[in-house]
Amino acid sequence: QRVLLLVASDVDALCACKILQALFQCDHVQYTLVPVSGWQELETAFLEHKDQFKYFVLINCGANVDLLEILQPEEDTLFFVCDSHRPINVVNVYNDTQIKLLVKQNDDLDVPAYDDIFRDEEDEEEDSDNESNGSEPSEKRRRFEEDVIERTMKRRQRREWEARRREILFDYEQYEYHGTSSAMVMFDLAWIMSKDLNDMLWWAIVGLTDQWVQDKITQMKYVTDIGILQRHVSRHNHRNEDEENSLSIDCMRIAFEYDLRLALYQHWSLYESLCNTSYTSASLKLWSVQGQKRLQEFLADMGLPLKQVKQKFNSMDMSLKENLREMIEESANKFGMKDLRVQTFSIHFGFKNKFSASDIVYATASLMENIEKEGPETTNFIKALDSLSRGNLDKLHLGLDLAKKQLRAIQQTVASCICTNLVISQ
Amino acid sequence: RGSLSSRSEAKSGRTDLIFLIRFRHCCLLRNQRCILAYLYDRLLRIRALRWEYGSVLPNTIQFHMSAEEVEWFNRYKKSLATYMRSVGGEEGLDLTQDIKPPKSLYIEVRCLRDYGEFEIDDGTTVLLKKNSQHFLPRWKCEQLIRQGILEHILL
Repeated sequence: QRVLLLVASDVDALCACKILQALFQCDHVQYTLVPVSGWQELETAFLEHKDQFKYFVLINCGANVDLLEILQPEEDTLFFVCDSHRPINVVNVYNDTQIKLLVKQNDDLDVPAYDDIFRDEEDEEEDSDNESNGSEPSEKRRRFEEDVIERTMKRRQRREWEARRREILFDYEQYEYHGTSSAMVMFDLAWIMSKDLNDMLWWAIVGLTDQWVQDKITQMKYVTDIGILQRHVSRHNHRNEDEENSLSIDCMRIAFEYDLRLALYQHWSLYESLCNTSYTSASLKLWSVQGQKRLQEFLADMGLPLKQVKQKFNSMDMSLKENLREMIEESANKFGMKDLRVQTFSIHFGFKNKFSASDIVYATASLMENIEKEGPETTNFIKALDSLSRGNLDKLHLGLDLAKKQLRAIQQTVASCICTNLVISQ
Repeated sequence: RGSLSSRSEAKSGRTDLIFLIRFRHCCLLRNQRCILAYLYDRLLRIRALRWEYGSVLPNTIQFHMSAEEVEWFNRYKKSLATYMRSVGGEEGLDLTQDIKPPKSLYIEVRCLRDYGEFEIDDGTTVLLKKNSQHFLPRWKCEQLIRQGILEHILL
C-alpha cells in the first residue's frame, strides 16, 4: 500500500521526515513526499493526491484543527498525525476510525473527558402533543404542567452543560504550546522496532535542538529530553578509544557536550558569534555604545586579545581555546549571563567535519528560509532536506554561510529598530 | 557538370586541366567521406536511442528520421529482440534493464520535470510533479531516469 507524506516546513519536521523515510525504505513501503508550508498548501496537496492514496502521514501539521472537516476525506482514508503542536483538537483525539495520533506515552495532553464535550443529539424539543383526547380538564392541566416543568428542567440542564463545555474548551484551547519533538517521537518508533541507527539518533537530536533554539519548549523540558537522548547516545557511541576496538575516523560519532550557547562559533570568529547571538547581544545590549564597551570589558575580563578573538575560531591560539568554555562561563556570570552554557550534542566524522547540533539547526533553517528564489517554492525544502544527509556537505556549508548572513541581518534590523525608536520599552 | 566538361576537354588533349580535375576529385572524395561519417554517426545515435527510449520512439524524434533510417531502426530492433530471446533460457533476457548492477529493489527518486501521471504495476498512478519525491520500484523508474525526468537520490 502506498503512503503520502505531508511534511511541514520546519527543521523538526524535516528531521522526523528523514527518520521516517529511512524506516520506510527498510520495509519497502512505497511513498510520495510532498512539502507543505501552510493550510492552503495542505488542502491543495490533499485534493491533488486524494484519488491516489488511502494512507496519509502528516508531520508537524494538522493536529490542532478539525482535520475531517477541513479536508473532507472519503470514508476509508486513514490519517496518521505526528505533530508537536498542542493543544490537539478534541475531534482528532476522540476520532476512533480515521485519525491516528502519534504521541509519546507520558506526554500528558490534558484532554477533557469525552462526556464533558460530546453529547448525542437528542431530540429535546418533544412536541407537546399531549393534548390527548378524552381526559378531564383538570387532569389534562396537571399533566400539561408536569410536562412544562420537565421540559424547563431539561433545557436548563442542557444550558448548564453547554456553559460548562464552553468553559472547558476555552481553558483547553486557550494557550498554544509545543509537545515532544516529532523527530524524537519518530526515533522512539524506530527504537521500538529495533531499527534505530546512529544517523536517526542524530536527526532526533537536531529536531529537539530546533525546538529549543526557536524557543518552542521550556528549558526544563529540553533538559529532560536531552537526558532521554543521552541514554541512546551512550548506547550507540560507547566504543572505547583503545587501539583494537576503535572505529575508523570516517565513521560518525555523536558526543555529549556542555557547550557554549554562541551561534556557529566554531565556524566563525568568536567576536562575530558574540555579536550575533541573540542571547549575548540582548544581555550586553550591543546596539548601544555602552553595550559595545561592555563587550570590550567582557573580552578583557577573560584575557582574550581582540586580534585573536576576531579571527576565525579554528585559527585561535590553542592555549586560549583550551579552557575557553570555563573561562567564558565565569566571566559571563559576572556580566549577568547565567545560561551561557547549555547541554547539547555534537557530531564528527572524518578529520575536518565537526558540527554541533545548533549549527545544523541554523544551517538547515536558513536554507529553508532563503529568499533568493531559484525555482518553485519547494526547491528550498529539497535543499534543506538534502543538507541533512552526511553526503551533502557542500549544501551544509552553503547553509552555514546563509545562516551567518541571516543572523547578521537579524541583529542589524533589531539594532536599527531600537535605535530609531520603532520599538520602545515600557 | 563542370568536372564532366573539363574531363571531356582533358580527354581531348588539354593537359593543364589535369590538376583541376584531380583537385575537384579530391574535394568530392572528401565530401563523400564527410557525408558517410555523418550518416554513420546518425546510425550510431539511432542505435543508442533504442537503448534509451525502448522500442517505441517518441514522435518528435521519428519526425527527424528519414524513411531508410526508420527501417534500419526496425531491423535493429528485431535483431536485438531475437538475440535477447535466444539468451537466458525460456523467456529471454531483457538486456536494456539494469544497465548498472542494482543495489536495492526500491529507489528514492526526485522528479526534475513535470511529467503527469505515471502508472505502476499494481494499477495505481503516481502524479509526477516537479520537485516531488517518491519511493518506487527500481524497474519502473529506470526508463524515466534515463530520459532525465527522474533523478536517483542516494540517502
